[in-house]
Amino acid sequence: MRREATVKASLAAALAGLVLWGGLPLYRHRHFGVPVVKGPGVTAVLKLSEFSKGLEGTAADTTVFVLQGKEPGGRALVMGNTHASEPEGMLTALIFIEHAVVEKGTLYVIPFFNASAGRNTRPGDGYPLYFDVPTEWGSKRFRFGNRDASPLDQWPDPDVTVHYPTKQLLSYIDARNTNRTWPGRPGGLPMERVTFGAMELIRREKVDLAIDIHGAETMFPVTNCIVAPEKSVRVATMAALTVKAAEGFESHVEPSPPRFHGLSHREIGDHSDALPFLLEAPIPFLDQPTGPKTVEFFLDGKDPFLLSLSKKKKLFVPYDETGWSLEKRVGQHCSTTLEIFRQFSRRNADRALVVKGVPRYAEILENGVGHYYADPSKAAPGTVLRH
Amino acid sequence: MSLVTIAYYVLTAFLLGLVIWNFVREKVSRDRLVLYLLVMVPLILRLLRVK
Repeated sequence: MRREATVKASLAAALAGLVLWGGLPLYRHRHFGVPVVKGPGVTAVLKLSEFSKGLEGTAADTTVFVLQGKEPGGRALVMGNTHASEPEGMLTALIFIEHAVVEKGTLYVIPFFNASAGRNTRPGDGYPLYFDVPTEWGSKRFRFGNRDASPLDQWPDPDVTVHYPTKQLLSYIDARNTNRTWPGRPGGLPMERVTFGAMELIRREKVDLAIDIHGAETMFPVTNCIVAPEKSVRVATMAALTVKAAEGFESHVEPSPPRFHGLSHREIGDHSDALPFLLEAPIPFLDQPTGPKTVEFFLDGKDPFLLSLSKKKKLFVPYDETGWSLEKRVGQHCSTTLEIFRQFSRRNADRALVVKGVPRYAEILENGVGHYYADPSKAAPGTVLRH
Repeated sequence: MSLVTIAYYVLTAFLLGLVIWNFVREKVSRDRLVLYLLVMVPLILRLLRVK
């Protein structure tokens, strides 16, 4: 009897150790705050729950940075981390928050759009919990998130996701994917409330341009591109041609499928006056047939298996020994976003948006992404938020 | 938290209770003891809202 109790107590203690060993890093990841340093252009900081009351007090609520110019003009919304496993969008958004100065118009930036996904992890795929971007003052640590919201914030999943309002059937997991829940609804599932909040922001603030920044596998056909619906194609095409001619990188235009619902590039345009764009840059790290998913691979984008596949013409982007670095990906996003602003402003002088201070592709390639992040420990009091 | 989510947490707690009960009642097989403990891991992590 005593021996049995001893065995059970030992096993229970082993279980407690296992739960602590596996659970503590996940707990720490969920509660880790990424410092965001407000730059000189930030004029207000809002919560998305101001546009979607159902988000108030939940982990899905997120921060909206407002950069208002001295002169009235056009309005644009930039979103990163719709998919938190594609953090280039968030890194780009943070560069805008730290460096953009709006001279004309207003810019709204949501760096952690799916805030819950940013606190979700992907250990089953061998993804790291964090990545560190080297800077001149050390390194800046970010959470590596997942594509979908955490089940801690939205559970259970349905057997099949029924898109609102079209009733189109989508995969069960898409209920937690904020690029399948547009245009959302106020009393829906938490991720529908997130997209509803952004739709309300777009409608109430009369936003002209909505840019949703992503990344995609090199083996996925919709990569290295601007996805645009009919109403945005003209601006997208001019932006794509200009960056190719002036800055030397490819970002072709992909049409937004009119019958595939729930995506930002479809629903924002259909449910508001804004012109939506979804930017994709190739992230080799996301591909399946690669070596280990290390932080180094995420940063430099170099992988021998992808190189071999490239020689067999199995990839949708040019790929060589130089890989596809974080600098290239974030640089492309910065330049393409600025070029979309410029092309829209050329055609709509009364709604022009003039943004200064944001580096372009060549500068980011030369200086590195980390060069554009300030040391939060040396930032002025009151300018650092943790998200 | 929606009513459906609360119901799922109650179900999780109920399942965890069943597994703990089986663990306590098991007299013979050590293999089963280990298996009960492994089954508990995701249930505990969810109830603690860790994963």
